[in-house]
Amino acid sequence: MDTNETHSGIKRRTLLACGAALAATQPFASGLAHASAYPSETINYIVAFGVGGGSDIVARTMAKVIDEKKLIPVKMLVENRPGGSGAVGYSYISSRKGNPYYLGGVGVSFFTTPLLGKMPLSYKDFTPLAAIARSPYILAVLADSKIKSIDDLKSAKGLTIGSAGAVSDPALLSHLLNKELGSSIKVVPYDGEGEVMAAVLGKHLDLLFGNPNEILEQVNAGKMRALAVTSAERMESLPEVPSFKELGHDIVHTQLRGIIMPKDVPAEAVSYWEGVMKTVSESPEWRSQYVDRFNEIPLFLDSKQFGEEIVATSQRYETLMRELGLIK
Amino acid sequence: MLESWHLLAEGLVAASQPSVLAAIMVGAIIGLFIGALPGLGPTAGVAILLPVAVSFDGTAAIAALGAVYYGAQYGGAVTAILLGIPGDASATMTVIDGHKLARNGKAGAALGLSIAASFIGGLIGLILLTAFATTIAQAAIAFGPIEMTALMIFSLSLVSVLGGRDLNKAMMSLFAGLFIGTIGLDPMVGLPRFDFGEVRLFDGIEFSIIAVGLFGLAEMYATPPSIGKPEENNRFRFRELLPDVRGTLQCWRELGSGSLIGFFIGILPGAGATAATMISYAFAKRTSKHPERFGNGAMEGVAAPEAANNSAAYGNMIPMFALGIPGSGTTAVLMGGLLMIGLQPGPMLFQTQSEFVWTIFGSFYIGNLALVAITIVLTPVLATCAFVRPSYLFPAVIAIIAFGIFGINNSMFEVALVIGFGVLGYLMMKLDYPPVPLVLGMILGPILERGIRRTLVASDGDVAVFFQSPIALVILLITVVLLVSPWLFKNRAGKEHQMDEPQAKKIG
Repeated sequence: MDTNETHSGIKRRTLLACGAALAATQPFASGLAHASAYPSETINYIVAFGVGGGSDIVARTMAKVIDEKKLIPVKMLVENRPGGSGAVGYSYISSRKGNPYYLGGVGVSFFTTPLLGKMPLSYKDFTPLAAIARSPYILAVLADSKIKSIDDLKSAKGLTIGSAGAVSDPALLSHLLNKELGSSIKVVPYDGEGEVMAAVLGKHLDLLFGNPNEILEQVNAGKMRALAVTSAERMESLPEVPSFKELGHDIVHTQLRGIIMPKDVPAEAVSYWEGVMKTVSESPEWRSQYVDRFNEIPLFLDSKQFGEEIVATSQRYETLMRELGLIK
Repeated sequence: MLESWHLLAEGLVAASQPSVLAAIMVGAIIGLFIGALPGLGPTAGVAILLPVAVSFDGTAAIAALGAVYYGAQYGGAVTAILLGIPGDASATMTVIDGHKLARNGKAGAALGLSIAASFIGGLIGLILLTAFATTIAQAAIAFGPIEMTALMIFSLSLVSVLGGRDLNKAMMSLFAGLFIGTIGLDPMVGLPRFDFGEVRLFDGIEFSIIAVGLFGLAEMYATPPSIGKPEENNRFRFRELLPDVRGTLQCWRELGSGSLIGFFIGILPGAGATAATMISYAFAKRTSKHPERFGNGAMEGVAAPEAANNSAAYGNMIPMFALGIPGSGTTAVLMGGLLMIGLQPGPMLFQTQSEFVWTIFGSFYIGNLALVAITIVLTPVLATCAFVRPSYLFPAVIAIIAFGIFGINNSMFEVALVIGFGVLGYLMMKLDYPPVPLVLGMILGPILERGIRRTLVASDGDVAVFFQSPIALVILLITVVLLVSPWLFKNRAGKEHQMDEPQAKKIG
């Protein structure tokens, strides 16, 4: 039993009340005059979404592995600040400019909410630290569907595909798919991945782009068939399913599990976290508790590589949102 | 099916080991308090406990989290009845008659009935969960956007029952609710609507903020300051604090219909327990021989929604356990818990983790019994609340509301919102606009909107598809019959139903 996690869990709640007070004092306390001693204070991992969601699970597993392996000399608290489609949490982190004691994870809303223009910040207001896993999407249909391959999509008419929210990775991928195949698959937004799955199982939708985790479960139960994956290579857990790339379609898009800090944090902090995250990404604990459990792809990207991926991803969303008429 | 009961028996044994029992008790008590605390509901409760729970042994963790969920259904009614504030969203309908009963000096009877209703609703939900989870899950997913649209049209037609005397005012209230339901990011296009440039409105307005404001704060605002004189409620008799067994038994019809409606609505992905309570309340009123008693302290008006929200909680878990699909916010968090302890909810769960699943189901039965015991013991103590003078009670309650609402998202903005909705509720009360259609519109409107728009996106704007689904057709036909029948049978109903909403002019 891991008592430390219990402890930090309780502490997180007690800290919430005085969160504002803490927030006010910290920037001064952390001027990094004694940079050699970094980190000397508690690290706050801000999750911009609710407890139990994808971003939250990444954060808590990461914190757990760091704690188990004693990779940092201070405590790491995971705190949820949901609201405004991520705007609340990300604004909170970015307002800690230069403070290397606040970090957060990167999700789809990290890109899309700023692009909607309602949040006066963007990925440029953050410092990328490192990415330690990659989650592809799998295009799947019901097991008894007439669609057997990607080529069948070209000729089929009136197909529908689900998406969790109007702007999401599955929506982005569906538009790429239509462009590549010349098909006219209609994207129907639902409120969550679970609802999309329910609609596919209930035959209200024809297709979905799902996480490896949820799709594998349905495939193993014989309810669904996977058509292709969006990673550049095939997945180890689905060796018979081709990637879009090998089928000759230019669709490569995955969700990166990475962390960011506010803008202008000292270079020492960046290299410190690159080191920590590299150890995490190579640890058997991270492998077994996260990567293998959720069927994701292990990797390590340092700050620079991660930053480049962030720019590319943001551009992909911007293009999509322009085409959808969400931004002008 | 026989096998199910055998497995359940093993599950009950497994759930009786001390660590799981302790987890159930802790979860149930936390759930009870979270449910009773206005603002914070089961979703927040499960979320708060999740990070702590997952560090325990997996089975105990999920047993505790489940207990928070159904415990909150018990707790929500306590605040609703005693203070007239929905303790959680799904207790909103309980306020209408429950609080009237408490003000009429029947706090104990109302609480006792809510416990009985919670237990019976829970038990029926559990039995259905145990016996038919997989079958029911298959039936539930037959409800797609088209069927949901029909179901919501049916539900909204019930406004005529819930609306009070003045239909125009009821419609105004309903449309206000429908409007509030559109605030936030457009679910289909992703652009913010009616956000007034305020990023904190992106995700819409939390339902509990509206419910607590409209029902709880509004009533406190409207309470005249007591002028030294002892309150009318001060006649204090111990008997009134005790549950009323006979009155409870008389509500058997509402207990049954509430449980079944609650369970059925609870299974549907995206509908939820709050919608279930509204539909079951309206159904109870519609089919009652004395609909005029509803809104004025009818025991049936407590029985129906309380049975519904408890059985909805189990209905809600069916898509999660059987299909790996979270049907509501709470089950989404619960599913996060399953993932964190290393289990993959989905169609394989019953096969690969059979022992785990049945132990959890067993823990639900134990937890339900435990909650009955806990709440019955607490009832007389809690019921005395109804006799505390407002000058002492209200400041404490307002502080608790502020804390509970702040706790949802750690947001002072939402505390300001709840105060604002309190003012709106006060104005509506004074101008005799019923608040129930507003909350109905706010809960059902977004589901209706999504149903219509999802259908039309998929059909390229072809409206005919709404009439091509047999399920939808049946529901729409029932709606038409229910709407038209009062006109046809006008002579029979010559006595002119007096569907009075609480007049709410004079409050103790």
